[in-house]
Amino acid sequence: MKSAVSLEKRDLKTAESAPGIAGVAFRYGLALGAVTVAAAVAVLTWHYGIPHGQASIFLFAIAVAAWYGGLGPTIVAVVCSAFTYSYFFTPPLRNFVLSHEDLPHLVLFTSFALLVGWFTLVRRRVERQLQRSRNELEIKVLERTADLQASRQKYRELIDASPDAIFVWDQDGNCVLCNASAARLYCCAERELIGLSIADTYVPAERDVIRERFDRSRNEGVLRFERQFLRKNNEVVPVEVSLSTAGKEHYQAVLRDISGRKRAEEELRKQAELLSLAHDAIIVRDPESRITFWNPGAEKTYGWTAAEAIGKVTHELWQTTFPGPFDQINAMLLRTGRWEGELIHTKRDGTRVVVASRWSLRRDEHGAPAAILEINRDVTERKRAEEEIRKLNEKLEQRVIERTGELQAVNKELEAFAYSVSHDLRAPVRHIAGFTELLQKHAEAVLDEKSRHHINTILDSANRMGTLVDDLLAFSRIGRTETQNTTVDLSRILKGVIGEFAPDTQGRKVVWRIGNLPKCHGDPAMLRLVFTNLVSNALKFTRTREPAEIEIDTLNHSPAEVVVFVKDNGVGFDMRYKDKLFGVFQRLHSHEAFDGTGIGLATVQRIVHRHGGKVWPESSVDHGATFYVALPKPGKVKQ
Amino acid sequence: MNGLKRILLVEDDPKDVELTLTGLSEYNLANEVVVARDGEEALDYLYRRGNHQARGNGNPAVMLLDLKLPKLNGFEVLEQVRTDDNLKMIPVVVLTSSHEEPDLVKSYKLGVNAYVVKPVDFHQFVNAVKELGVFWAVINEPPPGSVRKP
Repeated sequence: MKSAVSLEKRDLKTAESAPGIAGVAFRYGLALGAVTVAAAVAVLTWHYGIPHGQASIFLFAIAVAAWYGGLGPTIVAVVCSAFTYSYFFTPPLRNFVLSHEDLPHLVLFTSFALLVGWFTLVRRRVERQLQRSRNELEIKVLERTADLQASRQKYRELIDASPDAIFVWDQDGNCVLCNASAARLYCCAERELIGLSIADTYVPAERDVIRERFDRSRNEGVLRFERQFLRKNNEVVPVEVSLSTAGKEHYQAVLRDISGRKRAEEELRKQAELLSLAHDAIIVRDPESRITFWNPGAEKTYGWTAAEAIGKVTHELWQTTFPGPFDQINAMLLRTGRWEGELIHTKRDGTRVVVASRWSLRRDEHGAPAAILEINRDVTERKRAEEEIRKLNEKLEQRVIERTGELQAVNKELEAFAYSVSHDLRAPVRHIAGFTELLQKHAEAVLDEKSRHHINTILDSANRMGTLVDDLLAFSRIGRTETQNTTVDLSRILKGVIGEFAPDTQGRKVVWRIGNLPKCHGDPAMLRLVFTNLVSNALKFTRTREPAEIEIDTLNHSPAEVVVFVKDNGVGFDMRYKDKLFGVFQRLHSHEAFDGTGIGLATVQRIVHRHGGKVWPESSVDHGATFYVALPKPGKVKQ
Repeated sequence: MNGLKRILLVEDDPKDVELTLTGLSEYNLANEVVVARDGEEALDYLYRRGNHQARGNGNPAVMLLDLKLPKLNGFEVLEQVRTDDNLKMIPVVVLTSSHEEPDLVKSYKLGVNAYVVKPVDFHQFVNAVKELGVFWAVINEPPPGSVRKP
């Protein structure tokens, strides 16, 4: 563009300036030629009888020479014309001699010629100057036009380069200008957009506000708003618009596609919703502990809103009590990227909360600490509950100690009771028996049969009472005395027990079937008492059998315990009463039928239970009874 | 009461005293018995003080001692006897209603010579007392300083 302008300029200058020697020859030649043509035309007119006007023909030639040749050729033309005119048309004709007759003509002619030449020259100079000015003006216009084009081009490039869509609308809302982004936004070619009505880019529901927005932008300057942009294919895109006036009659709208931002916002909103769902306080802080994010959980936990908390330094806001030196905690966070622990924070209302705090460090792409995510859970309640449980436990322990003490006291009392029973209860019984005996001795002679029977009854009852007291004392002793824990050979114990009963079985036929009994764990004296009672019962309740059969053996059914049974072929009992069997002083048979205090099986059960074992019966009336005793095996005792 | 007897019976229950004496009388040992009704009286007798100030010199051949006694109990009497140089050689037989093992253990620890549980049955009781009396007062040779057999 610029080069074209300068070319034109040169051409103009060339035309204006002298064309050199060729130009000079042309100009003088032109002057001479013009005079020669004028002379020829004048001679011809003279020859054909026209008496006047030949001078003006020469004047015309002079004017031509002056117009096209300049000063020099003008003078040459005037001189030549004067000579030629004097030669042909002033008397004496056809000679150059100046007579008094033709001199006035010649003078007149020359004056006219000079005048015409001079006028023409002046005129020409003025003309030239005008021409030059015009050329200059023209150059200026060209330059301006080029500048304008350049800036217009620049503007065009600029708006085309803009990622935002730019529309220029006229008063009626028709598009007069747009850029490539606008075309992309509308999804059509740029030229299609020109003349498009703005209403076509609005969803129908929003079209009413177009005019109002135009007016407002005229009144208020740049107007910013978001709207739904309707594409050619009827898709709707959210855009952000800056609307401003462009000159008196146009509006410029810059539209930015914000669908990506909207999506991100939506995602963030969803994430934020998730964070707000969390009961935990979730905060993000920078490496200087200034809060940059604060979720609703944090607001709920601490009382400050996000607006109040953001920008604050966490440990200043919360007056944190750390479990150790902060430097160490921070060092650990930097080293491992995380930290967990319990902190004590102060809430907005001044109350203190215990929080389980988890920190994780996020580093930037250079590895420098960028942000710390801190999740705090209020565990005050839990702590309180734990403390409560601890206190309850303490209380419970205290109560166990108290109860144990009480129990020990009760045990002591029981011991004292048993002691006093032992001393004091037996004495009156002994006295009844003793003095009745003495009475019997002294008064035997005077007593009748009935009185003797009464005395015998008294003696019998007293002795029975004595046995009861002794048995009861023995029974109470089981609970009061310490048990030994050793391995017990049941075979040996049974052998001893059976031996003990030898005197009682004299005169009776008893068939003993003793199996190979195992070893068990427990107190030998007590276990002996168990089998003494069981064997005693077996013998007692087989008294009516001939022969009595007693089988003692073991069942091998469990690795943890030994089961020994004592089986007889005696009178048995009704299993409906099996639970009564083990009660103190419980008897299922009359005294007349089978004597006894009813304390034997109670003693058995008590001892077996103290060993962590079980005892159970199996019987039916008249078909004998079997008593099973399960005891822990050696080495299988629960401690 | 003032005389020196071979058997010191320490028993608070008069019925038991009567039954015991009945038993001992079978071997004519009843007259050889002095009865103390509580522990303190027993010690008074042994130390010849209080009511027993005037009794003759020497120790009984045996002391039949009940455990449950007013004032000082049987253990306290026994303990005192065993710590006194003049009394510690006296044979002491505990004669009690108690079958309780702790009583038994404690008695032997304190140095009792025998422990007899009074049987409820009269015949057994009488037999027991009789045999005790005969053994300790007649058959057994008491330590020096004791009342000798007549």
